[in-house]
Amino acid sequence: MKVMIVDDESAIRETLGKKLKREGYEVILCQDGLESLRAFHSERPDLVILDIVMPEGMDGLTVCRRVREIADTPIMMLSANAVTEEDIIEGLNAGADEYLIKPVRMNEFVARVQAILRRSQKSSSDTGQRYDDGYLSIDLHRRHVHVSGKRLHLTPTEFKLLAVLLENAGRVVSQRDLLEQVWGHEYVNDVYYPRVYISQLRHKIERDAANPIYILTEHRVGYRFEKQGSSSVRSG
Amino acid sequence: MTDFGAAALIVYGVTLALSLAFLLILLWSDVRKELNQFFAAFLMLVLLWNTGALMWQAIDQLRIESPLLTLAIGITELGFTGASVAVYALTAVLVRAHTKRFRVLTFFTLGLIIVYRVILIANSQRFVTSSAYFSTVQRQPIVVAFYLIFDFGALFLLWRNRRKVRSVGIMAGLTLFVIGQTLAFVDTDLDLFQVSFAVSAIASLVLSFSIVAQEIIKPVSEHNSQVEAIRRVGLAITSLASLTSVLEQVARQAAELLKTDGGVTILLSRDGELETAAVYRLPRSFLHLRMPLGEGAAGLAALSQQTNLIDNYELNWKGTEDYPLARQTFGSVVCTPLVYGGQTIGVIMVIGAKHGILFQKEDVYLLELLGAQAAVAISHSQLFSDVEFARRQLETVLISTESPVIAVDRKFHLIFANRTARQLLQQSSDTEENLPNGTPIRDLIPPYALPLSAALALSELRRRGTYTYEATINDRVYLCNIAPLGTPRVTGWVAVMNDVTELKELDRLKSEMVRMTSHDLKNPLQAAMAYTELLRDDLEPAGDQAVLESIDKIDWQLQRMNRIIRGILDLERVKSGVRRFENYPPARAIELSVVELRQFASSQGVQLQVEQDDSLPTIRCDAEQVRRALVNLIENAIKFTPHGGVVSVRAYTQDGSVVFEISDTGVGIAPEARPRVFDRYYRSQQKGTEHITGSGIGLSLVKAVAENHRGKTWLSSEVGKGTTFYISFPVGQVRTSYSQ
Repeated sequence: MKVMIVDDESAIRETLGKKLKREGYEVILCQDGLESLRAFHSERPDLVILDIVMPEGMDGLTVCRRVREIADTPIMMLSANAVTEEDIIEGLNAGADEYLIKPVRMNEFVARVQAILRRSQKSSSDTGQRYDDGYLSIDLHRRHVHVSGKRLHLTPTEFKLLAVLLENAGRVVSQRDLLEQVWGHEYVNDVYYPRVYISQLRHKIERDAANPIYILTEHRVGYRFEKQGSSSVRSG
Repeated sequence: MTDFGAAALIVYGVTLALSLAFLLILLWSDVRKELNQFFAAFLMLVLLWNTGALMWQAIDQLRIESPLLTLAIGITELGFTGASVAVYALTAVLVRAHTKRFRVLTFFTLGLIIVYRVILIANSQRFVTSSAYFSTVQRQPIVVAFYLIFDFGALFLLWRNRRKVRSVGIMAGLTLFVIGQTLAFVDTDLDLFQVSFAVSAIASLVLSFSIVAQEIIKPVSEHNSQVEAIRRVGLAITSLASLTSVLEQVARQAAELLKTDGGVTILLSRDGELETAAVYRLPRSFLHLRMPLGEGAAGLAALSQQTNLIDNYELNWKGTEDYPLARQTFGSVVCTPLVYGGQTIGVIMVIGAKHGILFQKEDVYLLELLGAQAAVAISHSQLFSDVEFARRQLETVLISTESPVIAVDRKFHLIFANRTARQLLQQSSDTEENLPNGTPIRDLIPPYALPLSAALALSELRRRGTYTYEATINDRVYLCNIAPLGTPRVTGWVAVMNDVTELKELDRLKSEMVRMTSHDLKNPLQAAMAYTELLRDDLEPAGDQAVLESIDKIDWQLQRMNRIIRGILDLERVKSGVRRFENYPPARAIELSVVELRQFASSQGVQLQVEQDDSLPTIRCDAEQVRRALVNLIENAIKFTPHGGVVSVRAYTQDGSVVFEISDTGVGIAPEARPRVFDRYYRSQQKGTEHITGSGIGLSLVKAVAENHRGKTWLSSEVGKGTTFYISFPVGQVRTSYSQ
């Protein structure tokens, strides 16, 4: 497993890298945004760990967006300047799968890295359920999602979320269950993760994200995937 | 028979008839008046004497011899002598130079004379002709002296007090009467005797007419002109604006109305003393002299709310002197209280000089009329000047303040804008005009600077009395505070706009600063913590306990530093963060907070008890903030509870609020420390808590959260037994459906 760590502080790069190496991961260290993008292309890591504030050139959020344009590789943000929930949501909206606030304990850091990699691994070996109503088609086995015949790029977390909802189609999945099944039991208190990802998913698969028909919110309980009969689907 | 005799006969007859008429008029008008009583006595004696004289003259003229002549002479003498006493008494009463026993004395004297005369008549010779009478009559010196004493006494009194008698007729009549009576003693010649009678008779007629004119006719005829005079005076007083000129005008008009020497306006000050506020034709040194209520002639009038009329200040006023040398210089004085709305506000005092004018009942009446108007004028002027003073003060405050102040009426038309507000409005509406009052506010202020929702603003104003919003005008940020004008009915609104641009910028810089600092601190902290952990991993196999312990201590201190930084950031977030309000179930807040701290509690050996009640109403809050507050409170409770203790958490409703209660079995808080525990960075120096680490921020964050939600925090504690913290939030608004 290859993990790329991007941070302008050498002490942080070194310590995190050392710890991950001890845990058996292959580690690539980068000290700024441009270098990290170059390394991403050449090395194709399985996980990117990104600092946000980097004084030279590109910041973490930009790197994250650039990576998302070309790959679904899991990204973990590791930042010191998160003051409000908005900062975290901004990071998640940029395409990150995980947002950790510095300082983080080594053990927790390693646990989160393991969880995120587990998620991306596991999602590719899901049940082979399929869904197709003419407008939206989902093939869990091949990890393909099409909207109006066009292939969609979903991040591993987005895909995992959609998969859990589809497997429970017609039933309400509570926030807590979503957190546990998609992110892992370490995440049950990170209540804003589902909110952000549901919103991103809706933007990708719904015709009108403000009036969703597939992913419905059950107020104060959770979310529900509603299958649409092909008769109700209009072409276009 | 001479022609004179016939003329005398007519004079007596006319005098008789007119005297009778005057007497009737007098009795009809007012018998109780002292002057009238003395005048009636005088008239009756004139009647008596003229009756006698008429009979006597008639007998003479008819040239008959009749025993009635003796009676006629007797009656004449009786009336004539009596009249001389009566005229003295009348003069004394007219100039008010009489004492209380004067009346008794006068009537006693008259009675004595009458008795003496009746005895004389009874015992005298019987005359059948006048010549016989005159041949026998002897002018005894005692009789002459008697006449002279009373007549000239009257004349002296009259001269001495000549300014007190306003009627020329009275003066002339009295003088003529004295001359007439004196004539009788010049010679005993019959004719001159008759002339004396005739002159006296005419004099008494003149006197009578003058008195009737002064006492009865003049008051009636002058009534209208007096009312007119009062009206003019009233106008003069009430048309003035300033209090000082009103007071001066009252003193002046009162003195001029009563045609006298001086007037004073005295006001009752707030401390209950009378103070001379204005003088007219009196020494300026009287001004601002003070006198307690009830003292002095004016003080008595003020206290009793009754006009105080003093004929002679020296003789009749026994109380405290109103002014220096008043006894020596004041003559007649009238003090009329100024009463407004049942309250005495002052006194008008009108003063006649010694031997000057003597005030009559009519003067009192006039002064009281004037007083009533003056009281109204002074009160209004006082009120006006009070209001004007307050208004000017307020205006000065408003004008001099740098914050724009704008007031509008109920139709949202401009009614006031101070200088800075006008400048702001001119800039924002791009006009050079003067912005007249009455302009609709919508034409003056750009819509983005008005409250977003007028309905919301009005309902807030109704509920809380104020409404505050932020408006940006010309790149400056104003905190507009709106309050209603007028109570109880709202007549408009006033907005005070505080320029908070600099504060906003400072706040932004501060937040920026906190962000930067936190970032700069967190990176080295992350590195240090990571190195420590790596070091521990490296050294653990070697098993040197001392080294490992040291590493653990370094790690503990780094964790502590981390908590402090997190606390500062949490507080910053609560104080400046965007608040997202939602209806949130209290049970959920407890559940999530407890989940976060279960592990910490068990590591401290503290049992965490939770009493869940899902039926509680939701609270309208920023859920994240409420959770942070609860986490802080519970964490705090765990920290201060020794191993084996219990921390229990529950929530319940009380007075429209949801109260969270977090109690522990910890060390408790000393009473002197209790008021300060919610202060930022405050840490109790209590025994048994030295080992507990913390930033001293947690509870100030709790307080800030409560304040953000219009909630409250409080605590109860017992040293050695434990502490209970409470935080309450108002229950969220229940949404009702109107569509049913």
